[in-house]
Amino acid sequence: MTETTEFTDAVTHTPGATIDDQIDARFKRVRRRRVPKFGVLFGATFLIVLLFLTVFADWLPFIRNADTKVRVNGKLMSNYKLGPGWDAWWGTDGNGFDVFARCIYYARYTLWIGISSTAIGLFVGGALGMLAGYFRGKTDRVISVLIDCLLAIPALVLAIMVVRRLDDIKLDFTFLGWMSRLWQIILTLSILAIAPLARIVRAQTMALREREFVLAGRSLGAGNMRILFKEILPNLIPAMVTVAATGLGILIAAEGALAFLGLGLETSWGFMINANRNRLEKAWWATIFPCIMLFLTVLSFNLIGDRLARRFDVREAAV
Amino acid sequence: MRYFFQRFLQLLLVFVIVTFVVLVVMRVGSSNAQELAIKLAGRPLKPEESDALIQQYNLDANFISQYLTWLKNLVFHFDLGFSPQAGQSVADLLKPRVWTTVLLGLYANVFGLLIAIPLAVTQAYRRDRPFDKVGSMATFIAVGVPGIVLGVFLKLIFVVQLGWFPSIGDKIYPWDDLHEHFMNFFLPTLTLTIPVAAIYTRLLRADMVMTLQSDFITLASAKGVPPRRVVWKHGLRNSLFSLVTAVGTQLGALIGSAVLVESLFDLDGLGSQLVVSVLSADLFTVQSFVAIIVLIVVVVNLLVDLSYALIDPRIRQARALG
Amino acid sequence: MSIGSTTNITQAALRDVPGPLLELTDVRTHFRTPRGLVRAVDGVSFTLERGRSLGIVGESGSGKTILSRSIMGLLPTKGTERSGSIRFAGTEVGNKSRKEMRHIWGKEMAMIFQDPMTSLNPLMRIGDQIAEPLRLHLGMSKADAAATARRLLQDVRIPEPDRRLAQYPHEMSGGMRQRVMIAIAMACGPTALFADEPTTALDVTVQAQILDLLGEQRRERNMSLVLVTHDLGVVAGHTDEIAVMYGGKLVEKAPTKRLFAAMKMPYTEGLLASIPKLEDRSHSRLNVIPGRPPDLVNPPKGCRFAPRCPYASARCNEEEPPLTATQDDPDHSYACWYPVGSPEYHEARARINASAGVN
Ligand SMILES: Nc1ncnc2c1ncn2[C@@H]1O[C@H](COP(=O)(O)OP(=O)(O)OP(=O)(O)O)[C@@H](O)[C@H]1O
Ligand code: SF4
Ligand SMILES: [Mg+2]
Repeated sequence: MTETTEFTDAVTHTPGATIDDQIDARFKRVRRRRVPKFGVLFGATFLIVLLFLTVFADWLPFIRNADTKVRVNGKLMSNYKLGPGWDAWWGTDGNGFDVFARCIYYARYTLWIGISSTAIGLFVGGALGMLAGYFRGKTDRVISVLIDCLLAIPALVLAIMVVRRLDDIKLDFTFLGWMSRLWQIILTLSILAIAPLARIVRAQTMALREREFVLAGRSLGAGNMRILFKEILPNLIPAMVTVAATGLGILIAAEGALAFLGLGLETSWGFMINANRNRLEKAWWATIFPCIMLFLTVLSFNLIGDRLARRFDVREAAV
Repeated sequence: MRYFFQRFLQLLLVFVIVTFVVLVVMRVGSSNAQELAIKLAGRPLKPEESDALIQQYNLDANFISQYLTWLKNLVFHFDLGFSPQAGQSVADLLKPRVWTTVLLGLYANVFGLLIAIPLAVTQAYRRDRPFDKVGSMATFIAVGVPGIVLGVFLKLIFVVQLGWFPSIGDKIYPWDDLHEHFMNFFLPTLTLTIPVAAIYTRLLRADMVMTLQSDFITLASAKGVPPRRVVWKHGLRNSLFSLVTAVGTQLGALIGSAVLVESLFDLDGLGSQLVVSVLSADLFTVQSFVAIIVLIVVVVNLLVDLSYALIDPRIRQARALG
Repeated sequence: MSIGSTTNITQAALRDVPGPLLELTDVRTHFRTPRGLVRAVDGVSFTLERGRSLGIVGESGSGKTILSRSIMGLLPTKGTERSGSIRFAGTEVGNKSRKEMRHIWGKEMAMIFQDPMTSLNPLMRIGDQIAEPLRLHLGMSKADAAATARRLLQDVRIPEPDRRLAQYPHEMSGGMRQRVMIAIAMACGPTALFADEPTTALDVTVQAQILDLLGEQRRERNMSLVLVTHDLGVVAGHTDEIAVMYGGKLVEKAPTKRLFAAMKMPYTEGLLASIPKLEDRSHSRLNVIPGRPPDLVNPPKGCRFAPRCPYASARCNEEEPPLTATQDDPDHSYACWYPVGSPEYHEARARINASAGVN
């Protein structure tokens, strides 16, 4: 009975729409449930397996140590001697390292960088977005200009500049001495994440601000902070999670790009790609396997992000 | 007009803030002017050399006066600074390379649109049919492929396997030799175009699907307008908003990809030069490069803003009044 | 294939074909959905003569829009099952493809939509929107089309037509836009005009003007008019005949005067009671028929109105009443076992009144 009501209501609300589309509007909910979740399933499986392998790599017998050179019958397999095969699944690279082992080990850095920089970006960007969206007025204007500025510099250009400058700056300012390359990259990528996240959170906050429960809270005299944390923040979570998933993919691709350009870690897929790419002809495996890993990881996060965007109806994240 | 002016000021503000912050980031950390001069030069300097530099670029003042000096040199003398490491002025460093990047960006946008518009329109028109489903899947994947991955794969197929294109790029422009230009620019262009086209397609398809649900589209059909014309004439123009916006917002990503692609295909352009300059801490050059890039981004976004009014009479009139 | 294969029937030829303009026999439009088959239109038959006007009335969801779109052929192809015969000027159009119908749309059959605010292309000048069908169907030159568009604007009483031609829809009021819609519909001189709730979105004062305009244009151009509405009051003064729909079926059809004088269906009675009276406009819709429209996937077994009908008895739940003509007027037919005025009806009324008195 309730379902009937839904359908009739839908017709009345969209008079005259092309009929094909009316059907869709009407049966969206039903239809969604029927779409196979193949994509997310793939993405989630891939990431879980990757996480497992990279975390337990030290204990897994079939994964060589990333820094152990491959020897067959005592002979060093350097100079891309081994192609993909039984001795080294994905072949060896110029120095005789196992490409598979490196791909698995380096996933640690990739995932760690992606997750921590997303977390920082989410924290800072989310806070800025909430403040701008909630207080509007001057706060909003200042934060919006800040966002515009961050967006005006192409992300990768900003990234290479910041990473490189941090190299020098940490020598000049001794209190930054703790900062390793890894943290430089995490910090840089978090800066990249701030602006897009802040923008989306700002828009969502603005919408939430006008919703009844928030207005009600305000009329009851609840303090701003209380409303922000108790009423608005919980409602922002779906959008934030969604954007974070897609953002993770983008940041991981950026990490790969930085490493590729020689500004990232040397223990990175991007670095492997760059180091071996001139040997494509001789040894495609040393370049292609890290490429595939990078691609599948980014794709997996995108698939999950897309799913979440549909689930939570977050349009901004669904490019 | 007033609207335009406001928007212009806003973007000018962005330009000033960004270039100022970049200057600070580039120069912060040196305890005195001599040290900074040496850093800028990238090599040990004789006292009189460093004095000259300090004099010229006002290096012993605070950042704001340094910035003003830089800005003044830029605006009044078109002086982008000097690259001690390259041994030439930044302008000279830039000039021979600028076309590589500009052409790549132009190609990516033009071909991106040429692919995206027909694809998205057809997809929206045949929504949820196999063509649309396959298209959506393909564009979804294409949007997410990291630029390096795509580039490496294209290189593997077209250079290594098929041997159709040279393995080391050479910046040959169309006015030099069209055929050679094609040979050298095809793969980099393709690498840049695929994700751009995919993003454009997805955005336009989404808008178009919404538009095709409008009453006025049904009315157009009920007038007996042929479907082709309904979609192209009534549907497309009403669906351009996100697409036009994306041309502006995607520019940054495109420039980022250009940096990668130029490095990957060994094409000598602004992007690959930027990487070299950053790596060698060529502070002047980086500063000027970034300023130019930001300027381009800002100008393109201003143009995008103007084009809304071109498309939609409601915006045109609202702005004329405001 | 007989005459149906010629897609470009000329208007003159159409006008000359003898017989009714529109002849529907057992028309059904069902939608396949995940929930089951939605019987939006379920066996509708009627005829409409040239130059006459028919009002289709019913509650929301009764299938009025789908019926009128079925006749025009403006339905989705995906998941739609159509059957029955729709003859337009002697030609079967029910089985025509969209491609074939295109030559009839705008030219022979035209449609006016409910919401004038969303039914015009916001980025196209009014003049171009009116000229479009003229150029497409009648092959007019740009100048001719512009001149005709101007005349059409005058016909629908839009002042300063020259200025209006160059305007965009957002520069006009709702009433003006609805007039433009009428001008567009009228442009190629169609023989049948379908107006789906043409006044629902408009101010009350404008509503009457638009309805008058429609009537006047119909008479002048000798068009047939199908006026779809959920408001019996709207059709009262503006149509020759009225067809009442409930749950995808035609439940009563009669000449307008006759219907108001001697309605047979309890449902029609309910609709009439729900017309807001002038004196209590403020709280209109006081007497909405209680209950919900029937589920079109699993309609009630007997009379579809039975669950809501105050006069229903056991038979109504078991057997479906057929659409039958009244004895005194062959043009008046209804589908009810115990119609208004029958002994059972009075009995049931007395019962209801009694119980109301007790409480
Ligand atoms: N494409 C479709 N798929 C499934 N069911 C549909 C579809 N289109 C319409 N319906 C159903 O058909 C029924 C009749 O719809 P219709 O739009 O004809 O009603 P109506 O009488 O015009 O009502 P209203 O006064 O609200 O316009 C509705 O119950 C609706 O849910
Ligand atoms: S048949 Fe019975 S239920 Fe149906 S309308 Fe007539 S009296 Fe009511
Ligand atoms: Mg309707």
